[in-house]
Amino acid sequence: MEVTVLFAVFAGGLIIGVPVAVSLGLSSLSYLLLAGIPLVVMPQKIYAGMDVFVLLSIPGFILAGNLMNSGGITERIIRFANALIGWIRGGLGLTNIAASMLFGGITGTAVADAASIGGVMIPGMKKAGYPPAFAAAVTAASSTVGPIIPPSVPMIIVGSLSGISVGKMFLAGAIPGILMGLAMMVTCYIISVRRGYPRQEWQGFAEIGRSFIGAFWALAMTGLIIYGLLSGFATPTETAVVASVYAFIVGAFVYRAMPVRDLPKVIIDSAISSAGILSLVGFANVFGWILVSERIPQAIASAVLDFTDNKYVVILIINLLLLVVGMFMETIAALIILFVPLLALAEAVGIEPLHFATFAVLNLMIGLTTPPVGVCLFVCANIARLPLTPVVIAILPFLATNIFVLLLVSYIPAIATWLPGLLAQ
Amino acid sequence: MQQRFAQIIHILTRVARFGAGLAFSVLIGAVLIQVIGRTFGRSPVWTEELTRFALLYLATFGAGLALKSGDLVNVDVVCEALPGRGPWRLRLISAVLTAGVCILLASHAVRFVAIGKFQTSPAMTLQMNYVHFSVLLMLALIAVFAVARIVGMLSGTDDGLPNKPQAED
Repeated sequence: MEVTVLFAVFAGGLIIGVPVAVSLGLSSLSYLLLAGIPLVVMPQKIYAGMDVFVLLSIPGFILAGNLMNSGGITERIIRFANALIGWIRGGLGLTNIAASMLFGGITGTAVADAASIGGVMIPGMKKAGYPPAFAAAVTAASSTVGPIIPPSVPMIIVGSLSGISVGKMFLAGAIPGILMGLAMMVTCYIISVRRGYPRQEWQGFAEIGRSFIGAFWALAMTGLIIYGLLSGFATPTETAVVASVYAFIVGAFVYRAMPVRDLPKVIIDSAISSAGILSLVGFANVFGWILVSERIPQAIASAVLDFTDNKYVVILIINLLLLVVGMFMETIAALIILFVPLLALAEAVGIEPLHFATFAVLNLMIGLTTPPVGVCLFVCANIARLPLTPVVIAILPFLATNIFVLLLVSYIPAIATWLPGLLAQ
Repeated sequence: MQQRFAQIIHILTRVARFGAGLAFSVLIGAVLIQVIGRTFGRSPVWTEELTRFALLYLATFGAGLALKSGDLVNVDVVCEALPGRGPWRLRLISAVLTAGVCILLASHAVRFVAIGKFQTSPAMTLQMNYVHFSVLLMLALIAVFAVARIVGMLSGTDDGLPNKPQAED
């Protein structure tokens, strides 16, 4: 009875538009009242949920990305990507994807990627003769590689939920992220050849060199982050904060694109974005605690295991469930609620936690570009000044591509686990 | 009366923005002291604890503002698709529920703060009620901004939709 109320109130809250964090709080509150558990447990669990060491790195990575964004890196990265591959048929589409991959190494969120790159690339592609819906679709689809290529806010959340090292999680995302970007480039190229989309003039190796020098300090931040995490010298939080200081110095003094007086605003806006995530994590901790005390993860695991204990079928079931949930729910909320229950199921059939975590995050990222709740889709359709339907139609080939990569990563664990395993040695 | 209320909310917004920025700056400062200290062979023991407390206060001051700006995400696909005054009504109900939940929880958080009096943090020997207070304040600030939304909607000055604030600091 109490559990039914818990889920019904949560679903009801979501449907009428109550913030996800508050819906979690409201449903947990209803459960505790019915179960006669003292409500003081809620503030205590909210506190415990937010007081997790790993979460400390989230504001730092968000700030580093925002500082780099304010520091004028978008144009530099796009120019470099364009010099590299803009001369191929459908060059601006490919540039868009390559820029998202490079950008993904700097920011940990997809929406920032979609807004920054979309702001430049969508008007640019429209001007060059690409259909606006295609321009918006490529931008939205490719923005999802951002949180898969390290650094990644969802990966940090997974680290806090499961105890898997954030460094390992970041590394596990590197190859799937690159694979996803390359696969989308192939799709973009095939579509461009079929539809005769334009290509840019080859600008020569000199332009590649010049644009690389222009983008070097921004791209070096990816190296700094990876080095910080791999060297063992710094924790993810320290790496994130050092990356923020680096991003500020590059934006304000090297590129001179961010006035120093803008710093307080960028810090405060990053704090607000982080607070939105942290409070969600806090409220979700109460909800998660109830799920665990009601043995919901075990119930889900045994219900599925009664049906099948075939590892490959279970992977398919998990992926289908996450794809459906990702269509309707915000990524981080879905991750917080579903990760622990599904991890219990995954472990029961022998799926390695690191592997499971990687394909779960990749799966939920795809949800950012699916209707009805696809934030990146909304952002890009908005920039292109289009209704959602043509963008949804144009994104279908890229969705199919990303689902193909998801299946590869799901069924070939080495794609995710090889790099962290290699570097751990 | 209404003007006075708007003024109070404006001041609270500025205070919360300042608090969020300050907490984040403390977090950055503590981490940098930790890194620099370790580089030169000696890192103070209190930095890790201060960083954690700063994170809690960052969430405290930022959460209410996140409700205001839409960073406290919601699923609006159903409610905004309703015809006529439907979306407005649901936004109002949503704000009422948000305020209600947070006020109720804040009243229980008072006890949680009181419990903190019996504990001190190991490194900074800080009484934990000062740290536990962050949850009470977070709930109170979310409630205040939710009430501000309700008042704004009923008086016609707010449509109940999130709005990204302009730089105020």
